[in-house]
Parts: sequence; structure tokens; C-alpha cells
Amino acid sequence: MIHAVWVINKAGGLVFNRSYSDVLPPLPLNAVLILAGTLHGIHAITGRLDPTTNSKSRSGPSSGQGMEAFEAEGWGGRVWLSGTGTKFIVLHSIPHSGLDELLRRIYEIYADAVMKNPFHTPEMPINSSLFETRLQTLIAGVNT
Amino acid sequence: MDGSYYPSNPLPQSSTSTNRFSLTAPSSSPSTSTSTSKPTTTAGRIASATGLYTSSSPALAPAPTGILDRPLNKGKGAEVGMSAFAFLLAEVVSYSQSRVDSVTDLERRLSSLGYEAGLRILSLILLRNTQQAGGKDPKREHRLIPILQFVHTQVYKYCFGKPADGLERSVEGEDEYMLTMNQPPLTQHISIPKDMSQLSCEAFTAGIVEGVLDGLDVPARVTAHTVGTDQYPQRTVILIKLDQKVMDREEVLGK
Repeated sequence: MIHAVWVINKAGGLVFNRSYSDVLPPLPLNAVLILAGTLHGIHAITGRLDPTTNSKSRSGPSSGQGMEAFEAEGWGGRVWLSGTGTKFIVLHSIPHSGLDELLRRIYEIYADAVMKNPFHTPEMPINSSLFETRLQTLIAGVNT
Repeated sequence: MDGSYYPSNPLPQSSTSTNRFSLTAPSSSPSTSTSTSKPTTTAGRIASATGLYTSSSPALAPAPTGILDRPLNKGKGAEVGMSAFAFLLAEVVSYSQSRVDSVTDLERRLSSLGYEAGLRILSLILLRNTQQAGGKDPKREHRLIPILQFVHTQVYKYCFGKPADGLERSVEGEDEYMLTMNQPPLTQHISIPKDMSQLSCEAFTAGIVEGVLDGLDVPARVTAHTVGTDQYPQRTVILIKLDQKVMDREEVLGK
């Protein structure tokens, strides 16, 4: 079960969030924005903690791999950072298979419906009905 | 949390900046002679933009062939990637949008770009048809219905890879015809914001149709309208309103 999809821009601002289940507690938009900003910060810090990357080869603080997943009792989140710094997050129930594939598909839809839309301003909230519709179809297919 | 944690590689498709299309100054490539000869038309600008891509690395390609030096008969690699064109059209739309005040003006601008393309497409299709027939019996339609069928089938197939989904005469008038496409490929990724709901970026396609028709001496006013159905929310109708002159001529020519 996929509970929600978030998209966070490279400055840490939430540009898209949508719930796909009714068990997720409804939060005011401001609370979700703060949560997304915090998640962005944690992702950045965990990236700097990364011991697997050789510290000498690091050119900047960004070279490490940040947090990829978090888990709690019965639910969790999967984080995926695109090459351009945009983060895609799904909140899901545990166990859940095929999350990586799902995130790639979400990214594909994002590349098509958002980046190829002349009425979208980069780094600004996503306001594309096409993106929402295609995402809805994708998630509905996973949730059944 | 200032973006400095993140790779600073620029978004490839980023920015509403218009510098990709401001190449009116003679570009560095020697082969795009058209762009310098016609720097004032918008179509000339686009030709120069595409020409620049083909010859952006003159050091690697010893003898750069410009788009005009290629043979005109159909060869391999004549197709353009759908994504590349989607990005190009997105930039065209946002470039045009920054220079107009109203939706109507934006549509007119897109349409005039399509018109230039349509004129060229017509010549190219006619030439290729003649070449395919071995130079014998060159054909150019002159009656209205065959012309519309030519647009419906050949022009659409050349532009979009498949014929239009429908061609019908409007119930409202003898001089109105409609070309429908259930999923227009050019604008498939564009979603119109709510405050511009009147806009249809398929105005570009309408311009192509208008250019082709004009080239065949069938002047018409061509407009695009999005008439979504449940199954095809992006279904687009290209409405062709023929000039009175065409109707008069058809009457004289008879059946």
C-alpha cells in the first residue's frame, strides 16, 4: 500500500504532495512543509556521514549517499535523489516490494509531465493536472 | 539548508530563459546560412537553433553538413526524437508566452510558426512523392476533398507518424471541416493552467495545416480546440474554415 508521494526540490521545499490512502492522518500543509524540510536536512546530514565514500575523493559535501529509507512499526518511507537534486519520497506500508521500480516510474512521469510542460517553473510547486492524473493511475495500479 | 549540500550540476532542461532562441546573431556555425539570410523571421530563428545543434562541434566533425545540404529524399535518421521535440516545443511556447499579452496572441504566434513549417512540409512531401514515383506523373491535388484527405493522411503521417483520427464536415456550415486527433503527440505533455483554459498549444498544428492549405491555394482560417472526451482528455479538433473564394471555385468546377 502506497500512502503518499512527496516531491522535494533541491532547496528543500516541498513542491508536490498527495495522499493515496485514507489511513494517513490529515496534516495541515504547513506541517507537511516542515516535515519535508526536516527530511531534506536529515538526508543532507546522513550524506555527510557516509563512511563508504573515500573522503579524499570528495570534492564537496554532497558526494556521499544520503538516507535511502526509513522504517517504523508497519510503515516506512523510501527516498530517491535524482541526478538534478530533486528528491522523490514514497510513504508505504511494510513489507512492500517494487519500490525502486515505482520510484523510477514516478521520475519518468515527472520528466514527461512536469519538465516538458512549458507552464511549469523549475523549483516551483507542481501544478500539472497531467502529472496528477498519471500518478494517480500508477499508484492505483500498485495499491490494488 | 541552503542548496549547497547538493550537486550543483545544472538542470539540463531547466530554466525559462530564452537564450536558446535568441540566436538571431550569426551563429558560429558556417553551415547555417539560412539563418543569417533571414534573421528577421521567427522561423529563421528556429532553423538557426536547430542548425546550431547539428553543427555544435565543428572540431569533431571535419566536414559539417548543414540541414540544407542533406539529400531531400527520405533517408534513415530522418526522424526526430519525441522528447527532443517536446522540449523544443516547450521552449517555443514559453518563449512566445513571454512576448504576448493574451491567449489569443499566443495562439496566433504559435500558429504563425506552424504556418512556416507547413509551407515547407508541403513542398517536401510533394517532392518526395514525385521522387518515389520515379519522376513520372507528378501530382498535386486541386479539388477540395482530395486536398483535405491529403492533409488528413499524408501530412499528418509525415508530421506525427500516423494519419489523423477523423476528418468530417461541420454540421454548421458547408465551408467548415474538422480534423480530429485523439492524442496529439506534439502537446501530449503540456497541461494548460486553469487561468488559460482557452489555450490550445495545438495552434501550432493548426498553423501547419493552414500553411499546407495555403500552399495548395486553399486559403482558410484554421484554429485548434481541445474537446476532451472521457477516454481522450486531450482530444483536439482542428477547425478549418474555408475562404469563400474556395467555395466559389468548387462550385464552378462542379462535380
